Amino acid sequence: MVRAEIVNGLIDFFPSEDNRQQDGAELVFNGRVRATEHGENITALEYEQYEGMAETELTRLAEEVMKKFPIHDLFCRHRIGRADVGETSLHVSIWSKHRREGLDAMDFFITELKKRVPIWKWAILGDGSRIPSKCDHNH
Amino acid sequence: MIKIKVKCFSQVRYALGIDNLNLEFESGTSTSQLEKFIRGKANGKLDGISLRIALNQKYVPDETELQDGDEVAFIPPVQGG
Repeated sequence: MVRAEIVNGLIDFFPSEDNRQQDGAELVFNGRVRATEHGENITALEYEQYEGMAETELTRLAEEVMKKFPIHDLFCRHRIGRADVGETSLHVSIWSKHRREGLDAMDFFITELKKRVPIWKWAILGDGSRIPSKCDHNH
Repeated sequence: MIKIKVKCFSQVRYALGIDNLNLEFESGTSTSQLEKFIRGKANGKLDGISLRIALNQKYVPDETELQDGDEVAFIPPVQGG
């Protein structure tokens, strides 16, 4: 099963599930806001989305990952709006029979998300100014 | 003539200083012609920035013909995560 959601505000994490009997691996990834962007100190990131398309592409990608890798479930929440340093901007949970396919699926999902899903970030600097964040595809 | 709505995000919005544009073009105009127009309006601020084209919220190839009422977004490199 897939859940893919864009949320405005703090992310509620998907709960760990102790009742799964066929999944030997439960993987959780939390992407958090660093205090620096390209060497500059920041106080927050502000995420902007193409409303509608962002959630559609996120869902399409999650469904593709489900077909490509033998995993059982992929749940994802991506935040938009302001996220302060240290806060979570991306939360992904994957359940699979073994760890390897789950790890591979997680890596593929996040890599592709950073290429396809129309979400952008603006860096909020210490003086309150707001500039488009540069992108190096290495984050 | 066809009416097109262009939605601007991130570096495109920064370059043009506007959220949306409502434009009119001759029938048969393609997405690549519209991209050239948008890059021209940006006065060089979009030089070196690759743009993918989303037509009615779906990625499409560069040479797609526009239709009356289409919504177009030129998608600069995305930065989710």
